[in-house]
Amino acid sequence: MNVLNDLVLPALYSFIASIAFGIQFNIRFRHIIAAAVGGVISQVIFNAAELGGSSEALCYFFATCAISVYSEFLARRLHVPVNMYLVVAIIPLVPGKLIYQAMIALINGETQSFADQCTAAFAAAGAIAMGIFAISSIARVFRVVIRKKGI
Amino acid sequence: MTSKELLSVTSQIGMMLLENGAEIYRVEDSVVRIAEAYGYKQGERFEIFAIPPTIIITVQNEDGTPLTIQRNTKTRVNNLDRVDRLNNLSRFICSEKPNFATVNNYISQIKKRKTYPFYAVVISYAVIGATFALFFGGGWRESIAGGVIAAIICLIEKAVTKVRPSVFFMSLLCSLFTATAAVLCYYFGLTTEYDSIIIGAAMTLVPGVTITNCMRDFIAGDFIAGLYTLIEALLVATGMAVGAAFAISTLTKLLGI
Repeated sequence: MNVLNDLVLPALYSFIASIAFGIQFNIRFRHIIAAAVGGVISQVIFNAAELGGSSEALCYFFATCAISVYSEFLARRLHVPVNMYLVVAIIPLVPGKLIYQAMIALINGETQSFADQCTAAFAAAGAIAMGIFAISSIARVFRVVIRKKGI
Repeated sequence: MTSKELLSVTSQIGMMLLENGAEIYRVEDSVVRIAEAYGYKQGERFEIFAIPPTIIITVQNEDGTPLTIQRNTKTRVNNLDRVDRLNNLSRFICSEKPNFATVNNYISQIKKRKTYPFYAVVISYAVIGATFALFFGGGWRESIAGGVIAAIICLIEKAVTKVRPSVFFMSLLCSLFTATAAVLCYYFGLTTEYDSIIIGAAMTLVPGVTITNCMRDFIAGDFIAGLYTLIEALLVATGMAVGAAFAISTLTKLLGI
């Protein structure tokens, strides 16, 4: 295992790209840094889960859960919309490579490979959606409970 | 605050939230809370309906006659700073209950807030293209190519937005350009492969806000809005795939790669 190539560099790239996405979405600078840390967390958790032997979809699920928890927690503490952190942190997880390979297989007429890549891409997208679903639903319940109690 | 003033304030705030990339739950929740702060309870004297392209608000006048306002969103951009500011404003309104003039003053202040200058946005596109080309396994040559192509994508988006294209056409055009430029870079020997350039530069086109809003709309039970944003995201993705597939298959045949 190569620590630099497998763990450090993806996290670094994710950090830099997240900062750039923050500018694209017009987020103020101090929030950009916090959001970019979310991008790093997603990559670290993803790679850690992969090293731990999880399947690819499960890696996506864990990574999304981690950044969802991070975003929900930070958003409540700093009184900002959750989206501001979640949107930026989720982008490095988008399975661009899988979708691209599926498309290449399709135009080369490799039906079997296309089906495989498509399944993997859909599994990844579904896992990301489920991650957000799970954490956001729990956060919603918490929010309602907190409001009812008037804390 | 009179019911007409309330209608004006809530519709402005709701519209701005919708146009700048807030999810439906946030739009409805902010507007309802503002109305309740001034004593207009939802379900009794106040109703709101919002989907991504439209917002409808009804307030019952002091003598019981209903007043309704409907507004359609014209442009939709991703300006999360503005969403954050409006969020703060609605929290402030709920706690302080300021008068109409004060609220209007705050709203126009938020409208005037500066966004990042255009050159910074171009640079951010370039950085995204360059880092994601590295991220997806390219070398430094691919990274530079990805950065340059992504910067040009930003210029194309800026130029094409003026003619109000559909989301599908926009992503089709950008991804067509990305794939063409990347394959040509490879053909002229500037880079050793074109896969990582295309994936890297195309990451700038990923509709991140749309995807996240879609899922959060579904969780909040706003299924119409969720479907709307889901279809939008799928159209963008289809446009990207079709554009890149067309460019790659044609060029590799033509140039004999």
